[in-house]
Amino acid sequence: MTLSLPALVAVAVVGLLGIGLAGLLVTRNLIKVVVGMQVMVKGGMLAMVLAGHLCGQVQTGAALALTVIVADTIVSVVALAFAVQVRRRFGTLDLQALSTLRR
Amino acid sequence: MFDLLIVAATLVCALQAIRSPRLLMSALWLASASALTALLMYLLGAPEVAVIELSVGAGLVTVLFVFAINIAGEELPDLRALVPKPLAWLVAIGAMALGAWMAMPGLRTPAPALQQPPFAVVLWEQRTVDVLLQVVLIIGGVLGVLGLLGPGGAQAGKEKRS
Amino acid sequence: MPSIGTLAILSIAIPWTGALAVWLARDRRPALQHVLAVGFALAGGVAAVAMIPQRTEANVFGAALGSAFGELTFLPDGLAVFLAVVATVIGSLAVIFSLDYMRGERQQARYYALVLFFIGAMVGLVLSSNLLLVFVFWEITAFCSYALISFYNDDPKAVAAGIKALIMTQVGGIGLLAGALLLYAYQGSYDVPTFLAAATQLPPEVLAVMAFGFLVAAAAKSAQFPFQTWLPDAMEAPTPISALIHAATMVNAGVYLLARFYPAFEAVPHWRLAVITVGAVTALMAAVMAIVSNDLKRVLAHSTVSQLGYMVYAIGAGGVFASQFHLLSHSVFKALLFLSAGAVIHAVHTRDMREMGGLGRRMPLTRVVMIIGALALAGIPIVNGFWSKELILEVGHEGGPAWAWYVMLAGAGLTALYTLRFITMVFYGEPHAKGHVHDAGPAMKVALVPLALGTLTTWLIAGDFARFLGRAAAGGHGEAAAESTGALLAQVATAPATLVALLVIAAGLCGYWQRARLSGLARALEGVAVMARHNFGFEAINRGIVGATAGAAESLRATQPGILNWNVMAILVGLVVVLAILALGGA
Repeated sequence: MTLSLPALVAVAVVGLLGIGLAGLLVTRNLIKVVVGMQVMVKGGMLAMVLAGHLCGQVQTGAALALTVIVADTIVSVVALAFAVQVRRRFGTLDLQALSTLRR
Repeated sequence: MFDLLIVAATLVCALQAIRSPRLLMSALWLASASALTALLMYLLGAPEVAVIELSVGAGLVTVLFVFAINIAGEELPDLRALVPKPLAWLVAIGAMALGAWMAMPGLRTPAPALQQPPFAVVLWEQRTVDVLLQVVLIIGGVLGVLGLLGPGGAQAGKEKRS
Repeated sequence: MPSIGTLAILSIAIPWTGALAVWLARDRRPALQHVLAVGFALAGGVAAVAMIPQRTEANVFGAALGSAFGELTFLPDGLAVFLAVVATVIGSLAVIFSLDYMRGERQQARYYALVLFFIGAMVGLVLSSNLLLVFVFWEITAFCSYALISFYNDDPKAVAAGIKALIMTQVGGIGLLAGALLLYAYQGSYDVPTFLAAATQLPPEVLAVMAFGFLVAAAAKSAQFPFQTWLPDAMEAPTPISALIHAATMVNAGVYLLARFYPAFEAVPHWRLAVITVGAVTALMAAVMAIVSNDLKRVLAHSTVSQLGYMVYAIGAGGVFASQFHLLSHSVFKALLFLSAGAVIHAVHTRDMREMGGLGRRMPLTRVVMIIGALALAGIPIVNGFWSKELILEVGHEGGPAWAWYVMLAGAGLTALYTLRFITMVFYGEPHAKGHVHDAGPAMKVALVPLALGTLTTWLIAGDFARFLGRAAAGGHGEAAAESTGALLAQVATAPATLVALLVIAAGLCGYWQRARLSGLARALEGVAVMARHNFGFEAINRGIVGATAGAAESLRATQPGILNWNVMAILVGLVVVLAILALGGA
């Protein structure tokens, strides 16, 4: 098993993405959903910078990662505002209770 | 050795962020995961983005989380989810590992030694469209938050209640 | 004069833009809506007509659509331009008619937008030479048909009819999609002209699957046997829609498909016989069902199915020109019949013919135009229906098996019989209608009169029409013999088949006229009548199919509960499957 930095970061990327996805699969709380998504995005960001490092174009990778940071921050801001409103209106943050599709 | 520790710590923090029953602790674990990610990015050779990630991811987002959790309030501990936990972990990690395994040949090729202009130049000149996109996103996000939490949103909430 | 490629795109884009414009105009400004609807429909008609002098047998490039779909190419040859003109011109007349018919109805924006959307899609269907795009336009017309049949969406009968039509035609769509995908797999592109030129190079089994797949698609779209039940039920739609979609355009798509691909499939063993059988059986069955029906629109619907059977039969017998000529006549006179039926229904507020009668005195113009249309339907000499129907019978006599010819003859006689029946029941006899009966409104008249004139005259352009269709008319074998109109008419008039047919038609007319004396015969055939009313058992089968589809959809609803965990799980599983396929396929 190689201990070079790129290999380790690759492991970190896979780990973060997997943990984030597992979080999305397991949680029923709306704010925990945002946490899971954030973890996934950290993995994605790392992947971009890693790809840039491997291709010798670190700065391009970093520019892409910056876009991802901005986008993900905006998403979490809006999602948290949404969660606050949901809590006010419906009194719960439980996904299953909130789902109103006929079953 | 040092790198291995950092990667291990990142994964542990992320895991705790997901598993922690209290939302506030989740947010704090997330903050430390962000900080460690920033460190990894610095080690890979992108210091500017590392700083931005540190301030935004570990700072701004954490503060937002704390605000939101305070306003929305804590909930009862998580109830059982639709998908059983072992299956969830298996599928999630398995899917990502499969993807990484397919991308593995890319890891083995040595990195070409390209000289790139500094980060600022790359960002503003080569990726101008991305920057415009970010501006549009920020404006959209502000409008979204205004719509949700601004005076109009609160009015709608009150009308619905009564 | 813009190039033919531009005109082709325009004749699709103008109605679609009109649909968007009418929808945006909203119901609060009906005058603006009507102006926009009529304006865009007419502009689309102008664009289509402008393509007539520029038609070409070559592939015309429209736009590139990316590597998955190929290119948006058009084949604006005579066949395609002819159908495009029919679609837009009769579409415009239907829109004009709707100004009076739909006065006072709610949600007219939705109505006009859907009609214009449909017209554009129909033009796209006939003009496209990229088989996948033909399928896309095919599906769009199916959707518009469904939406317009269920236009009165608080009437459960209308909604059920719309869903039934949708499911039936989707079964056909599968046949078309399978054919398109097979073509791509074996030829590498979706290009139709390439396929037509080199059809024999495909493996025979593949060609056979495509041929029968297309036959199923055409049968479903044109309401042929065994898919003939959706069209009579589709009469729940507003009458201008019945005239446009279910008489003059959408149901022609099936016949167009068969005509376009005839050169490729004519060598497939048993295909032509299958086509002839489908056409003949449908023509006879539908004629019998028309005799026993009391709903005016259903009679016309059954007659549409029957006449389409004639066209399909003609293609099977090798007479592509005959079928297209009858398509031209039929589009005109059937639209005329439906629109005048619409005027009648609008006046008496019922579709049941037993509550009509004696309307001739109070609706003189409608009576005249409807009789003209009826003459064409029955195949009485001089009007256009006579010439085209006789041409079909003659072609069938030479190219098809004898039993099929006798069936078609019998169908012709029955057609005359039920035509006389419904004319008499509506316009003559004892008046049963209650209340005030007014003649057709001004907008209706504007639509009806050109159609009547067309019925009286379209046969005069038979020779030019043959030249216009060019290669397509001869079934793809070189140019059709450039016969003049006179030669064609003389050929029809002097064929022995014509005389026999006229005798049968006369027999049919006498049969109805003397029906009092033949009542014994009618009682003997009562069993057949009962079966005909129940659509010879097909209604039960179709209800079963529709029920099964709806049941399957209900049970699949459990997989879409709208919960995040479940959705993410589904995404992940899909991702794993795709990655596994890629990993295994790459290795």
